[in-house]
Amino acid sequence: MHTVKVWDAFVRLFHWSLVIAFTLEALVLDEDSRLHEQVGYFVLALIGARIIWGLVGTKYARFSSFKPSIPAAVEQLGDIATQRDKSHMGHSPLGALMIYNLLISIALIGITGWMMTTNMFWGSEGVEELHEGLVIWAGASIGVHIVAVIFEGRRSRVNLVKAMVTGYKTLPDQDRK
Amino acid sequence: MMHYEKQSKESLALIGLILAQSICALFFLSDVANDAYWMGWSAFGRSWHLTVEALATLALIMGIIVEARYLMQMLRRQSRIERGISIASGALHELMEEMFSDWKLTPAEQDVAGFTLKGYSIGEVADMRGSREGTIKAQLNAIYRKAGVENRGQLVSLLIEDLMRAPLIKRKTAMI
Repeated sequence: MHTVKVWDAFVRLFHWSLVIAFTLEALVLDEDSRLHEQVGYFVLALIGARIIWGLVGTKYARFSSFKPSIPAAVEQLGDIATQRDKSHMGHSPLGALMIYNLLISIALIGITGWMMTTNMFWGSEGVEELHEGLVIWAGASIGVHIVAVIFEGRRSRVNLVKAMVTGYKTLPDQDRK
Repeated sequence: MMHYEKQSKESLALIGLILAQSICALFFLSDVANDAYWMGWSAFGRSWHLTVEALATLALIMGIIVEARYLMQMLRRQSRIERGISIASGALHELMEEMFSDWKLTPAEQDVAGFTLKGYSIGEVADMRGSREGTIKAQLNAIYRKAGVENRGQLVSLLIEDLMRAPLIKRKTAMI
């Protein structure tokens, strides 16, 4: 067993702030309230900061360390199909695709939400439908994300939830990646 | 490697199909849930439309599950081919798969058995699978037990025995 620091303080703070903000927006706050709008802007600011951090941040926080790659994702699916237990240091290839999916869809939710407040799109049903459709999409994606984190954590014998809290991954010694 | 490329294209197409159908299923599912929420759950008895829509969504989801299982099977075959374990696409590989399923090996055991038949050592298999040698040894024991053999040599001879029994190339009956 060896322990490696993978998620810096910003990445963890970003992740859990987004969890709280998305839960508030989707399930708790009244959608017509002023607070719903303000939390929405906060989410957009969070994602903006994450994008900047993805360019200048620490090693595993950078987009360059988890480039979207379909061949790598298929290879990981192959590992799952054959029950091989390879673990990954930073984001796994499938995990990386999920992160891009979530970043983009949540940003689009924020943007369509803001559009609904502008004079141009105020009362536009199309934008509202898009906003709600994206929330369903992001919600389902989050469901898949949670199930996948638990499943992959078990398969690769690395506690991934703990890693997002403490920042440290404890990897089995087999892996030298 | 032509065969491999064709296979990986097929699995990519299947992944695309599964994704597209999942999005459709999500759309119908949220629509059904939304209608049921507004009309009350008793609406399933009253409204034909809603009931049929719910059943169609269920059928779609079941289709996706079947496809996902098929995809997993394809990926297993593919990752064996990738490691050079299957010799071309020939009868040997089909025979191996048949034997594995007769013995009811788990996907992990099938993987280990494939590597072992190919001649890799326990250490090498552990390396390729990212697991400990002890795990591989336990899996090998399970494989030997299920196949009814004592060791690697006997496992290999089982395969060869079957291979010699089955005609590798089907003789063409009407040759012109």
